[in-house]
This record gives sequence, C-alpha cells and structure tokens, in this order.
Amino acid sequence: MSTLVFAQHPVSLAERLRDASAVALITVLLGIPMIGLTTVDQGGSLQVVTRWPALAAFVAAGFFGRLLLRWAIDQWQARRRTRTAAASSATRGVNPLLRRGGWLALGVALALPVVFPENRYVVDTATTVLIYVMLGWGLNVVVGLAGLLDLGYVAFYAVGAYTYALLSTQFGWTFWESLPVAGAMAATFGVLLGWPTLRLRGDYLAIVTLGFGEIVRVILVNWTEMSGGPNGITSIPRPTFFGLPFRPPGDEPTFASFFALEYSPNQRLIFLYYLILALALLTNAFVTRMRRLPVGRAWEALREDEIACKAMGIHARNVKLSAFALGAMLGGFAGVFFAARQGFISPESFTFNESAIILAIVVLGGMGSQLGVVLASLVLVLLPELGRDFAEYRMLLFGAAMILIMIWRPGGILAHREPTLRYHGAGAGR
Amino acid sequence: MKTRILAAGFGLLSLAATSAWADILVAIAGPMTGQYASAGDQIRKGAELAVADINAKGGVLGQKLKLEIGDDACDPKQAVSVANTMVNKKIAFMHGHWCSSSTIPASEVYNEAQIVMATVSTNPQVTERGLKNIFRIMGRDDQQGVVAGNYLVDHFKGKKIAVVDDKSAYGKGLADEIAKAMEARGVKPALRESITAGEKDYSGLVSKLKSAGIEVLAFGGYHTEVALILRQAQQAGLKLTVMGGDTMTNSELVTAAGPMADNVLFTFAPDPRKNPAAAAVVKKFRDAKVEPEGYVMYAYAAMQLFAEAAQKAKSTKYKDLEKALREGSFDTVIGKLSFDAKGDNKLPGFMVYQWKGGQYDYVK
Amino acid sequence: MALALQQLINGLTLGAVYGLIAIGYTMVYGIIGMINFAHGDIYMVSAFIAITGFTLLAALGVSSVPLGLVLVLLLAVAFTSVYGWTVERVAYRPLRGSTRLAPLISAIGMSIFLQNMVQLTQGARVKPIPPVLVGGIDLLTIDGFTVRLAYSQLLIVFVTLALMGGFTWLITRTSFGRQQRSCEQDRTMTALLGIDVDRTISLTFMLGAALAAVAGVMVTVYYGVVDFFIGFVAGIKAFTAAVLGGIGSLPGAMLGGLLIGLIEAFWAAYLSAEYKDVATFSILILALMFRPSGLLGRPEVEKV
Repeated sequence: MSTLVFAQHPVSLAERLRDASAVALITVLLGIPMIGLTTVDQGGSLQVVTRWPALAAFVAAGFFGRLLLRWAIDQWQARRRTRTAAASSATRGVNPLLRRGGWLALGVALALPVVFPENRYVVDTATTVLIYVMLGWGLNVVVGLAGLLDLGYVAFYAVGAYTYALLSTQFGWTFWESLPVAGAMAATFGVLLGWPTLRLRGDYLAIVTLGFGEIVRVILVNWTEMSGGPNGITSIPRPTFFGLPFRPPGDEPTFASFFALEYSPNQRLIFLYYLILALALLTNAFVTRMRRLPVGRAWEALREDEIACKAMGIHARNVKLSAFALGAMLGGFAGVFFAARQGFISPESFTFNESAIILAIVVLGGMGSQLGVVLASLVLVLLPELGRDFAEYRMLLFGAAMILIMIWRPGGILAHREPTLRYHGAGAGR
Repeated sequence: MKTRILAAGFGLLSLAATSAWADILVAIAGPMTGQYASAGDQIRKGAELAVADINAKGGVLGQKLKLEIGDDACDPKQAVSVANTMVNKKIAFMHGHWCSSSTIPASEVYNEAQIVMATVSTNPQVTERGLKNIFRIMGRDDQQGVVAGNYLVDHFKGKKIAVVDDKSAYGKGLADEIAKAMEARGVKPALRESITAGEKDYSGLVSKLKSAGIEVLAFGGYHTEVALILRQAQQAGLKLTVMGGDTMTNSELVTAAGPMADNVLFTFAPDPRKNPAAAAVVKKFRDAKVEPEGYVMYAYAAMQLFAEAAQKAKSTKYKDLEKALREGSFDTVIGKLSFDAKGDNKLPGFMVYQWKGGQYDYVK
Repeated sequence: MALALQQLINGLTLGAVYGLIAIGYTMVYGIIGMINFAHGDIYMVSAFIAITGFTLLAALGVSSVPLGLVLVLLLAVAFTSVYGWTVERVAYRPLRGSTRLAPLISAIGMSIFLQNMVQLTQGARVKPIPPVLVGGIDLLTIDGFTVRLAYSQLLIVFVTLALMGGFTWLITRTSFGRQQRSCEQDRTMTALLGIDVDRTISLTFMLGAALAAVAGVMVTVYYGVVDFFIGFVAGIKAFTAAVLGGIGSLPGAMLGGLLIGLIEAFWAAYLSAEYKDVATFSILILALMFRPSGLLGRPEVEKV
C-alpha cells in the first residue's frame, strides 16, 4: 500500500529513498498483523502461522511502488507546470466528443444485440448495466439535482419490485398494468419518508434514509405472509410482447410462432434488453424535461443555496418532496423491470450495499451529469464482471478502483456539467 | 470513449468464452467469497479432486474434463450473472448452486439453455417448480424437518423445546418443518423465534430462553450462530441442547463452540465418510490435508454422477444426459444415486448425528 | 423483573461497545465533516489482531489473564492506529477540499477493500478463540431465574468508563484537545494560528481507530468469535448511535450507543427479535423529528 502526496518537493535521490523507506516502514506495520501473521484452524483450535516471505514481498512492493509512484508524479507535475500556462485557455468549453457522446452511446446501445445476437451473457450484462443506469438517473434527481443525500434508495427499488411481483402473482396483472401502479406506490413511499424528515440537514437525512432502507428490508424479510419472507417470490411472470409470450411453440400463439421465427430463448433476453433501453431513454427524456421546468430549476437552486431559495419564495419542503417522490418513482420503475427480468426476488437483492453502489454510480459519474451516470454504471458493473477471472481478488480490486477513481477525478468521471440556463448578453439583466 | 470500453470489454469476454473448447467443461458455483465462503471452499476442493481423478482415468468419452468455478457469494443477482457466464462458456454440467436462494433463480437460466445441474440445495422449491434439468443429490428440508421433529418428540419428552430460525430461506424452511412435525405429534414448541444471522449478540435470545425455562433448542440456520448462542448461553449459566440441520456438519462449529459443541445434535444424510466404497477417496482427501466433511464428498459425487451419466448416454448432449440421469442409477461416493420424476434422489433420507470430542457420529 | 435486570446488563454491555465505535465516527465527522464508512472495518481489523494476539500469547505460554489482556490491548491499539492513519492518508486526504460526497464514496470503497483484504489474508472462516474470561457473578435469583453478570461484561463496562474519563480529559484539558477542537470550529483559522491541521486530523483518525481497537478486543473477549463481516453491522449501529446522540458530540456518541444497546436488548426480550432493527431505526427517525440535531448535538447556526 502506498500513499499519495502532491506536495512540491525538490527531489534528490536520497530524499526519494528516505520517502520510500518511510512508506516501507508503514507497510511493515500494516503487514505484520494481516500478512505476516495469520491463524489457522488445526485440530479444533487456532494456531499462529507466519508468512514472512509474503510480508517481505509486500514491503518490497510498497518500497519500490512508492519510488516509482513518486517519480511518476514528479514527472507529471513538472510537465503540467510547463503546460498549464499555454493550455489554460484552450481546455475551456465542452469537449465536442462529449457533446456527441450521448448519441454515440445510444447508437452502441441500439446496435449491441444485433452484433451479439447469440451471446446471452453480453446481452444480459448490458441489461444489468441499463438497470443501474436507470437507477442512477433516478437517484441523480435526488442527489445530483436536489442535493439531498439518500443512502436508502434501494427501498424504493424494492417497493417497485415487490409491488409488481405481488400484483402479477396474486392478481394476474400484466407488466404494463403494474408499471404505473408500482411507480405510484414507490412515489408514495418517497413522500411518506420525506414528509417528516426532509427538514433534517445533510448527514442527518443520510442516516434517516439509510435507516428507512433497512426498515423496508427487515419488514420484507419478516412479513412472510406478504412478501414470502426470506424465500422471496418465485415464478414472477415475464413481460410479453403485446400479449405474445416468449415460450417454446405450444397451443397458444407465441412470439416466435406469430412472427414465424424459430424459437430461441435469446429472443426474450433481447426483448428485455430493448425494453429496459426504452424505459431508460424515457427516464432520460423525462428528467431532462423536468430540469427545464420551474420545479427542476428550483431543485438545482435549492442545492446551491437553500436560504436564498426560501427568501425568493420557493417552498423548500414541497420542492424537495417532489424530487424525492420523482426519484422514488423512477426507482420503482427499475424495480418492476428487475422483478420481471429475474422472475425471482428476495430481500437479499435489496441490501445497503446496493444503495451504496447506486450512490457511487451517481457520484463517480459526476453529480448531475446524465452521461456520467452511464459511464459510471458501465465501470461499476463491468469491473466485477471482467474481474471474475481474478476470482477472490475481484471485490478487493473493485474497492481499490472506487478509491482511485475518486482520487483521480474527485468531481466524477464527467465533472463538467452543462449549465441548465445560460446568461446571455451583458445588457439584458443589468 | 464509451465504444472503446464496450468493445474492449465484450471483446475480452467473448475471447474468454471461446477458449479451451476441446475439453468438456463442467462447472461448480457457490459462495466462493462472502459470509458462507467456507462452504464454497468445500465444494471447490471436492470438485477439483474429482475432476483430477476422472481425468487420470482417461476422462469422459475420451475427452478431458475442465473445471469452471463461479462465485455467486449467495447473492441471487450474482447467481444469475454466473449462470449466464456459464451458459456462454457452453458448460456441459453444473454442480451448484449452494444457497437455495441462488439455486432457484439460476436454475431457470440453465433450464432455458438446457444444461443439466446437480445441486445440494435443500429448499423444497428447488425441485417443485417442474424444471426437468435439475437433480438434487441431497435431501429436502421437509424430510429433514420431519426426522428432527420426531427425534425431539421421542427423546425429549416433557422438556420445553424452542424452535428458532435465522430468517434465511434455508433456516426458516427447516425450522418451519421441524415445528410442523412436532405439532403433528401433539407437541407445541414452547417458543417460536427468529434471529438475524450475521449478528454477534444473541444475549437477548438467551435471556428469553432462560426465563422461559427452555432446555432444548431446535435451530434452523448456520453453524456460526449456533456456536455463538451456545457460548452466550454458557456465559449466562444456561444449559442448552441444540438440534440443527445439515449445516452443523461444519467443523468450524467445534472450533467456535469448543466443548459446548458436544451439546449439538443435527440431521444429515448418511455420512459419506462411512461409506466403505468411498474409503479410498476419503484417504486421498486426507492425504491432501483436506477433511472430506460437509459438502466435499457431495461435490466429488456430483462430478462422478456426470461422468457416469455421460458414459452411459455416450453423449454430453442435454437430452441424452437428462434421460440417462432420470432412468439410470449411479455409483458415487455418497451411495447409489437414482432420481424420481421431480429430480429428487431416492437415497435414504436423514440420520441424527451428535458431535463428540471434535468428531460427529450417529447418535446412540 | 429478573429478565429486565438481565437485559439491562446485556444492553449496557452492548451499548458500551457501540459507544466506543461511535466516538470514532463522531470525532471524524466533527473535524472533517465526513461519514467514515470504513470505521466499522477498522474495528473488524482490530478484532482479527486480537485473535492473532491471544493465540500467539497462548502459544508462548502466557497464562496470566490480566497480563494477556493488557498485552493484546496494547498490540491491537498500536497496529490499528496505523491502519486508521493509513486509511485517512490514502483515501481521504487527497480528497480534502473537494465535494462533500467524494470522500463518502472513497470511504465506501475503502470499506469494501478492507473487508476483502481481511478475507483474503486471514480467510473467510470464522475465527474463534477459547473463552478468555470465564464465569461471572450471580447477582440474585427471582422465580428460578438467576441474574448473572459475566466477568467479561464487567470488564467491558469498566474499560469503557475508564476510557471515557481519559478521553474527556484528553479533549478538554490537553493542548492536543484544544487543537482538535479548534480544527473542528474553523480549520482555516487554526492553520493561520500555526497549528498543523493535517497532523491534527491524522491524530484524530488514529485516536478513533484506537478506540475502535479497544472495542474490537473487548468484543473478541466477550463473544470469542470473529469474522470479516462484523465491521459492517457494528459500523451501521455505531453510526446510528453517533447520529442519535448528536453527531460531533462525544458524550452524545456514548449516550447514543448505550440507548441503542438498551433498545435492542429490551425489544429482543419483550417484543420480537425480528423487528429489533426496525425499532432502532424508527426511534432514531422519531428522535430526529423532534430534535433535528440529535439528543446532545448543538443546533447548527445558519449563516446567511
């Protein structure tokens, strides 16, 4: 483990060695209890086992890693110093690639199942990415636009998923009938939570939302008659293509028989993929529209300065509530889709970790940036998937990557944000 | 930029998917990381040795087996993702998953892709959904609960019995079945409670048991919680006998509960280590410093099951394998396996065991 | 009645442990205004160090319980403080002065990292040690129910009281305490007065980690079983305790910890153990509705 320092140093070799030795000393201290020593179960009781070679390797890695890192940082800083003066004016303005990035992403997303029609893993993973994109966009309304820290967003996701699961398995409602109801249900929960608590400031709100997420999960686990308890709800019907199910040919008309195609289970996967893509695009259009409406402007204004907003006559609580309810509704939609895709839901899918990942997507993406959420979902979903080959190191690397991305770009991957409203002309306002 | 990430990402994936196609791919999946990683570890050790042994004898149908390992961390969502990965790798056989809550959603993916699976998940729902591709090489919670419930009624007459579960799909299912079996014999549990797995403080439960005068605790859940309850009961001066399920086979229980582990009774399928036909394999495991406890032998048996079925069917195609498994009977280290129409095995169900000085054995 | 007394003892013990961890949250929040989500995992690291320490001492033939306890406490506090220091240095210091949420995400990443690191280096299996402190005092018997105070519970309450005393002295009477408090109030001004703010923050993290280390050792003695997952649950409870007591307030953290311990103990004994956590969080929400800055927190002054 090495540390990062961005201080300006005159660099001599001796100083570098001293610096690296200090890091090596820290690695020794960190390494002794965790790497140098461990306990192993032998015949019913623990025995201490030493692993000095591993510790030595760890310390050496710390020492040389630090030397290298220090050197790289110095190089980088020296180069930046010479460059900043010349380049500072050129980097302003929006990167043209970025402006077209949205369309590019859309093109890729549309083409994906056409390129990989037989690869169900790719389509399925892309579907997962899109679920997170949608959740990210929903939470973005709350965190990115309205500036309310919500650590229990998964609760609304769960409400949506369970509403659909119950409506479809108990009352035979279809996917499309359930969607608005589940969204409304989630929004109601959002208001229910928001009403008493939205006057709390910053981190108090954070713990209350966290608590609410846990309350919903614990109730789902325990209220067996309603939610099936830990067993969850199985055999949730899959969405149909305007009434045509995706099934092997049988008596009733199916999707394959109606269009005279050969049946393949991948057809449903691809349909689900396009379904979530459509839902996500609708969400995006909706949120972008909302931002241009007075209420959307009020969200962002509230985030920037609550007192000024109140002075301007904005009803802070109602505006916050609207953001909360809308975010919750979008989460509910994502939940409905999740339940329909999995065909099985249980409380284990709605833990605090899930909330943390969704929040990480919003923050890593660059708060308030729609495209940033897409990029961050890609990173956070693909990273553990690509990491499957690293087996047990997978989540370790995931955690480290979260820290590194944050240090690398503290404002998020796409820190730049287009202002919703531009001030034109010098004479207009004054 | 996004395109590049995508292209690179999926390029890598498809590369991984097509490698090593010449071998027959068999897979295991379970919690290799996370809270229940020790069970995943047992499965991996069992399957690895089995594959090595089968390959040493010339493989299956002249081809070598290659083992793929999937980690679902007992999370249903990851389980589906693992299942899709495995389908893409074109595996011929899956042993897994371990948690019932992972097996249930994952099995639908395998079913669609027509891949045969053998699982040790005990929740009845696993085989009750009419899927044709799933074969259970372990007993069911409802059988297990009946054995445990009857034993409690027979052997602890007049004592107060509490039934407690840990709210997991497995634990609650088992505890419900135990309570049902007891009530069927006219004995009502003196206390019915749930706890949250993963916590460390069960002093509340222990006080409650103590004030209700409970002497026997029937527990649906994992060994970690039992160890903690026993330790805290001892601290509170409460003497408790525990009746648990198949997860109590884990020797961690003894390490964690110390001498109190001798108060633990549990139900488990007949011990495969006692199977005389398995003696050679047991020795092999012990030589490799692996105690063939818990699910080790089951993983070994699952691989044997696949190898024999493939030899019998002379094919690794789904239709042939499924037919062979459904009709045949197979000699494995856990006994002679044959399956009914649902995919449940016909082995004699469960025995009651007791821990004694770090070893478990049939109760006397 | 006897059951209530027993649960009072159990609840206070549990609450003392939560309180010790909560102090770390509250101090870090007070000084840099961030929720240190990795704090629970620091506590978990300490519990593992304690397991290794006790096993090592047993192997070396140290049979005296008080000596062993003191040695393990010292070891755990020393090594865990280094972890606290490193976490701040690696994951939070580079982010100082950026948005409020950046260190939060970095902290979640650090929490995932620490959990998996311990799982990799120490194994996923639970680690048990034989009971260190056996036995207890039978206080009284009512209707056949004997109220029992275990020695380990006595130890936890005693150590927590002593630490709270020492800690109050450290913060209110020493020069470090003054520096720490002045950093909390105004970091820029403190820096102008010639106080090394970075050093003060680092020391705060080490102190928080040291308290978590004591909690880790106590829990190892009390329950005797440790796994890499314990940090998560304890962390969330302790964080709740810190907020309930008023985040930024040291006595508040302790009070919050004790309250949550008691709520859990009594709810589990008299109502249902299943909805214990629902009760805890509902009471938190209720308390915050009436006192938005927690029980002992100072209401924030809004500057226009």
